[in-house]
Amino acid sequence: MKISKIWSTVMYLPFFICFVLFWAIPVFYGIYISLHEWSLFGGNGGFVGLENYITVLSGDNMFSVSFYRGLENTLVFVGFSVIPLVLVSLGLALLVNNIPKKLKVFFRTTFFISYAVSVTAVSAIFKWLFTGNGGYINNVLNTLNIAPLNWLNEQPYAWITILIATVWWTIGYNMILFINALDEVDYNLYEAAGLDGANWWKKFRYVTFPSIKGVFIFVLMTTIIASFNLYGQTLLITAGGPQQSTQSLIMVIQQVVFSQNNLGIGTTMAVIMGVIMMVITGAQYWYAYRKD
Amino acid sequence: MKSKKKDITVTLISTGVALIFLLPIVWMIFTSFKELGESLSTSSLIPKSWTIENYTSIFGADADAPILTWLMNTAIVTTAGTALVVFVDVLAAYTLARLNLPGKKIFLSIVVGALTIPGIVTLFPAFFLFREVGYLDTYAPLILPYSAGTMGVFLIYNFLRDFPRDLEEAAIIDGANLWHILRHVIMPTIKPVVATLTVITFLAIYNDFLWPSLVTSSDDMKTATVGLANLIQGSNFVNPGKMMASTVVATVPALIIFIFANKYFVRSVTNTGIK
Repeated sequence: MKISKIWSTVMYLPFFICFVLFWAIPVFYGIYISLHEWSLFGGNGGFVGLENYITVLSGDNMFSVSFYRGLENTLVFVGFSVIPLVLVSLGLALLVNNIPKKLKVFFRTTFFISYAVSVTAVSAIFKWLFTGNGGYINNVLNTLNIAPLNWLNEQPYAWITILIATVWWTIGYNMILFINALDEVDYNLYEAAGLDGANWWKKFRYVTFPSIKGVFIFVLMTTIIASFNLYGQTLLITAGGPQQSTQSLIMVIQQVVFSQNNLGIGTTMAVIMGVIMMVITGAQYWYAYRKD
Repeated sequence: MKSKKKDITVTLISTGVALIFLLPIVWMIFTSFKELGESLSTSSLIPKSWTIENYTSIFGADADAPILTWLMNTAIVTTAGTALVVFVDVLAAYTLARLNLPGKKIFLSIVVGALTIPGIVTLFPAFFLFREVGYLDTYAPLILPYSAGTMGVFLIYNFLRDFPRDLEEAAIIDGANLWHILRHVIMPTIKPVVATLTVITFLAIYNDFLWPSLVTSSDDMKTATVGLANLIQGSNFVNPGKMMASTVVATVPALIIFIFANKYFVRSVTNTGIK
């Protein structure tokens, strides 16, 4: 091919400059900041080695206490949200997959539509649906003569509200992944299983699930990481409450950087959070593919 | 016969689930037409007395939130950001897949490696750097950083790698220049994956919240998501009708685009997921 190295470089350059300026420099600068005492408004206060990391992890100061609280809250959310997020989207996919062909696109679009809604719009809607005083859900409960609940200010209702909002907001994407996987399952296998007298559960267990296992693991992994990034819903719907029980790790980091004016500690927490997420992803890859 | 009965059952169940699923959106729209007293006490979905006051109050001369300015900012940022991402990613992916770039293997592993590092790591340092150079609260941080994402390069690169080179080689033999090949051979080839990248990037920028909330402070520079978040946290929140009218205005453009480009969104999930 007669296209010179110079032209290749020129064409790669726009992306490369953007990548260096807005990705590579921030990553390395972040690591650099985490090794310094650094306040947002006072700037660099000198090299401190790994002291910020020790402060964050040691457990004996207010930064560390808030870090572990945010981490624990986030892990609680990951723990109870992942199964419903994956299973509801799989359930919807199985439903859509069985719908007569003419109606399939309509229902697929319907269940996918919340993907186009921003986290702030989702929060505005669900906060007013679930607000204790004058919220729509409690008005309905009142009409049905059921005692209203203090959804946003009492646990476990606050988590339930966040979970419902998150399920509604995010299942569409995973559902599409599952629908695509289900489309690829060999139809003959179902017929053979049917002849053998298998019921729907056996068909799912021995035919459907093994065929979509790869996509299932992929969805599981991406859902765990997405739940780990919990931020907008808890900031806007519950404001981290009640008693900071829904304050997620990203909310803690933001507070340390801006309210407590400590960019050094905040960036250190962000780096640790990044490492935790990479370890989770790596461990899952290892677990999922170790047999291959 | 049996399958017809099954079709009806499945359709009925799906309709029920769809109605529950659409409830938040339907509730949002109906509530935006309710009067304050009614919206705070009613358990009925449909307004008893319809009012457009919630809309006139957010668009009127005495409006306290410049929601049209926010939407305009979102439109500018989303369009410019998407165009920039598509432009730099197409050139970079083509270079990596087809041209003779020195150090190609290293660049390729950087592109893949960067995908594994979570965004939270770059967020606050990038904010600090934009502040240092005095560009906070301008369009620059709202548009430019999206161009650093490597996902688009990776997508197009993969697509091109699996695609035969026959047409390009024929064009070269015919004496076509680089521009001609890009425009008339490569672009038509990669159209589906470029469409995918365009719709994902568009929606990602439109709905991004944390980053634009860090880099904007004045009301005139906020995007729709940031402005709406301020409304949720502010004193206007006490009126659900007005809050939902603002939410409708901020959300409907994305919903319309989503419904019309639905095909591309569905395809984008297929392309970005695993095969």
